[in-house]
Amino acid sequence: MKYLLYQLKKHPLAIAGIAVMLVWLFLAFFGPNLVPFTHTQMDSDHQMVAPGVNGHLLGTDSLGRDILARVVYGSRSILTVALMTSLFSTVIGVIIGFSAGYFGGKADTAFLRAMDILMAIPPLVLSMVILGILGDSNIGSLTIIVSIAFVPATARVARGVLLTEKSQEYVSAARIRGESHLYIMFVEILPNTTGPIIVEATARFAYSIMMVASLGFLGVGMQPPTPDWGMMVIENKPIISNAPWAVLFPALAIASLVIAISIFSDFVSKVLIHER
Amino acid sequence: MKRVMLLVLVFVVASAMVFAGGGKETGPEPKTIRIAEQVPGLITPGVWDGQAFSMNSSIYEYLVEINTETGAIDPVLATSWSTDDGSVWTFNLRKEVKFHDGTAFDAEDVKYTIERTQDPAIGHLKKQDFEVVSSIETPDPHTVVIRLHESRPTFIYQLTDYNMPMLSSSYDYAKLGESKPMGTGPFVMQQLIPKESAALVRNTAYWATDLPKVDRLSIYFVADIDASISMLESDRVDVVPFVTPVIKNRLDSVDGISVISPYQEQRFISMAVDQKPFDDNRVRLALKYAMDPQVIARSVAQMDLNDGIYYNETPIMNMLAEYKDLPLRGRDIEKSKQLLAEAGYPHGVSVELYYASDHPFGKELSQTIQELAAPAGFDIELKGFTRDIYLSQYWLNVPFSITGWGGRIDPSMLLALAFKTGGSWNESHLSDSRVDALIDKISAEVDVEKRTGYYHELQQLFFEEGSLINVQVPYLVAINDRVIGYRQPLTMIPQYKYMDIR
Amino acid sequence: MNRITRLVLQRLGSLLATLVIMSFIIFMLVEIMPGDVAQMILGQSATEEAVAALREARGLNDPVLQRYVRWVGALATGDLGESIYMQGVAINSILWRRVGHSLVLALAAFILFVPLSIFLGVLAGVKEKKPTDSVISFFGLATMALPEFVSGVILITVFAVTLDWFPIVSVIPIGETLFGNLDILVLPALSITFVMFGYVSRMQRSSMISVMNSDYVRAAILKGMPRRYVIFRHALKNALLPTITIIGMNMGWLFGGLVVVETLFGFPGMGSLLMTAIKTRDVPLIEACVLLITVIYSLSTMVTDIMYSYLNPRIRYQGGQR
Repeated sequence: MKYLLYQLKKHPLAIAGIAVMLVWLFLAFFGPNLVPFTHTQMDSDHQMVAPGVNGHLLGTDSLGRDILARVVYGSRSILTVALMTSLFSTVIGVIIGFSAGYFGGKADTAFLRAMDILMAIPPLVLSMVILGILGDSNIGSLTIIVSIAFVPATARVARGVLLTEKSQEYVSAARIRGESHLYIMFVEILPNTTGPIIVEATARFAYSIMMVASLGFLGVGMQPPTPDWGMMVIENKPIISNAPWAVLFPALAIASLVIAISIFSDFVSKVLIHER
Repeated sequence: MKRVMLLVLVFVVASAMVFAGGGKETGPEPKTIRIAEQVPGLITPGVWDGQAFSMNSSIYEYLVEINTETGAIDPVLATSWSTDDGSVWTFNLRKEVKFHDGTAFDAEDVKYTIERTQDPAIGHLKKQDFEVVSSIETPDPHTVVIRLHESRPTFIYQLTDYNMPMLSSSYDYAKLGESKPMGTGPFVMQQLIPKESAALVRNTAYWATDLPKVDRLSIYFVADIDASISMLESDRVDVVPFVTPVIKNRLDSVDGISVISPYQEQRFISMAVDQKPFDDNRVRLALKYAMDPQVIARSVAQMDLNDGIYYNETPIMNMLAEYKDLPLRGRDIEKSKQLLAEAGYPHGVSVELYYASDHPFGKELSQTIQELAAPAGFDIELKGFTRDIYLSQYWLNVPFSITGWGGRIDPSMLLALAFKTGGSWNESHLSDSRVDALIDKISAEVDVEKRTGYYHELQQLFFEEGSLINVQVPYLVAINDRVIGYRQPLTMIPQYKYMDIR
Repeated sequence: MNRITRLVLQRLGSLLATLVIMSFIIFMLVEIMPGDVAQMILGQSATEEAVAALREARGLNDPVLQRYVRWVGALATGDLGESIYMQGVAINSILWRRVGHSLVLALAAFILFVPLSIFLGVLAGVKEKKPTDSVISFFGLATMALPEFVSGVILITVFAVTLDWFPIVSVIPIGETLFGNLDILVLPALSITFVMFGYVSRMQRSSMISVMNSDYVRAAILKGMPRRYVIFRHALKNALLPTITIIGMNMGWLFGGLVVVETLFGFPGMGSLLMTAIKTRDVPLIEACVLLITVIYSLSTMVTDIMYSYLNPRIRYQGGQR
């Protein structure tokens, strides 16, 4: 704990990043109750009004819906999907990567070939094609597809760290003790590799947000009227010259969240890996 | 190190090459109208999805067209026509008309075009409407006699449908329709790049020697309406159809650009009468009492009611002669709640509203209805899908939906389709003998006054216990003021041959 | 060179396997999902009978495996088939022009971001912890966090709507080619550059720092060699290696970004073509686009890998992508 505080003092930017992340988490949980409007409520007398008019702190869109309420509410779906995606892709990646690296031989070769195949397609293109064909996306399908697209990367990282740990003495000791493979992988090795895996997971978190936002922009993300930040940008692009705030604020929301998480992820990697 | 330098050098040279840019050649410009259209899906007549009107309506031609000034039927490929009581139709065809491939247009082509509607391998959109045809005779190359199974006094309007242009019986439309469209129209396709652009040039062999007035049509397919408008503002195109009201408001202050509304389109908010909760007329009425037409107009189109946007509870558009001027109901939440309670929903009712999210006004309208109906106790869950998914998987099978309907120059074309028992597009599943009887009388009645009487009777019925709310939204076109004489009647077919450019 | 030959062969082999497996999955996926091309064409009037007739007419009633094999057979002869939605339109006639456009756009983005981010990355690395470094680093962090469509919208607002320097939409005037209208490339290429700049410049900076702190560079400076000479002659060469890897690893973003940017700007490339193909469930066209993107992407990562081992023969090829 003390070490953490010391590290935080050394990286003032990280404090800002963590603060922004916490603010978004707070808004996702309690924000919709704090904003005087709901995300679908239409103020038909105040369409496309500038920030500040009639209590609309960030203005309204062409239907008179409060931008603040929509941005705040939209943080829920994007945070949920991004959190679950980074969690799932890391867990699956660790399981696959660990098994491949641990057992080696044919399993490992098969793993590498399979990953080569998945990695031969840009993750965004892969997700877009599958979600587009499936149609009617929801939080569940978005999470699953984006996780699959990310697994090759996480699995490779997991395999890499396992290989460096595999030759350690405590592993051979556990083997001699006659522990099961599962026990060795996940009870003995895993705790010693949390550093790089957590770093990978936080980096995934940032990528997920960009990915989910881009999919929303391409029209294969969440369906309306659930406000999705990416969708809000594209939805309001036609009124950009009348009501720039309707585009600007969701864009800023995406940027602030991704920047905050990137800073956080940098910090985590510094603390957990480089300066251990 | 040298290798690195070499790589850098390659980049620099390549970038210099790419960004050097080329000058555009200028010369004596032919008269060109440039149009930014939406990206069309299919363009072969019959399965044409009604996008890229400027292209198809300039290449293909119809037997008759609607005069935008008078609303009358003008001759095009048919010079005159006659009918007995609406069951036998005789058309005299224009002579000396040639298709773009040089073959002559004659009665066989008319026969082929109409018989083609019944080919199951095409999936022709006008199949149902032409099932009434019993036989087509061609006594000579310039006369066609069409016999119908029953009397249809307004049958001729079917031939103004955008999917019914005259096709050549010797041309392989199945193979070439999407890549090399060919008809008798005033313009000839010069180059078509699918999903990107089309270059059309004047048909030098056109039968009307003084038409078309311009030499070329340059049509760009642009998916994003905002991008199309920016092309209009930067003088890269002259005409942009399917403009949204938000954009209209912005363009109203721009010099040299006008936004016109050639006609209204309809949005049917349909309630299925055979499924809960709308099987009870009191629930349908409750929804109608919860609506506020003025709020709908404002939030859907930023317009005032009856000034570009219209509202009624019948299948007939407010602007048509057949429309009966019924009073607005007025919003009454108490009454609405009471009706819901009487129908057995004292604590409100949940229902899913299906709509096409990418269709103009779809999203706005659905969300407005959701908001307006909420205080009365309607808990509406919005189910928005892209238009293709919506139409192929949900439409016609759901209890509550919003669907876009084009106007029909003859409303009876739509009645049988959408409101008669067993009608193929009967989205509210209406099966009412009174409605069926009135529709039959309307289709068969020759006397205009009597026909209007039946129309009024039908509308009264819909007002009292009908299954739809009909919101009419403007179809808007933004044009540069250089373009003279923009013409586009309710049939949705723009008439570029009459248009000129300054 | 043997090592590189082996690398190339191995990569090509796995590329081929990828193509077979991916194309098969897409075929199956479209097959099991509701809403096929016949319904898409018939739209509102789709009766059972009409759908069946249309499926028959387009050869959709054959078993899916048979159709797949037929498609692969034609592909082997270089025939990508016809669009199943736009009947009679050969995919070869619409695809290649789009591919060319996309490649030019990717190249333009590449030409913008590679020298720029390497230069600024080196600058930041050399001036570590000075104001120049802070500004460049923060800018990199900020642009990295902006998805292409966000930076694109910002660029449109500034350069197209407000300043009116570049067109808001990338449309090639009828009768002209992309090369006569290079101004339409600028904003899309810049949007891609934004994201890539962050990754590459950050990598360049940190590898520059570690190289500058390495013993041999310190020794060179202590020996009295001019600093500028040391930086360019010794440090840069070694510091470039990780950057090249990072560029290779980010090719995926670049190609994903292309789809987004092409959609945003209406650029006539294969990304926007893929989007339309997906919307109309046009299997042969989806397949053609995805396979092409896969081939180009795999080849470009392969080239960066080869370049990497070419520049640094000591390091064994290990392969790495994000």
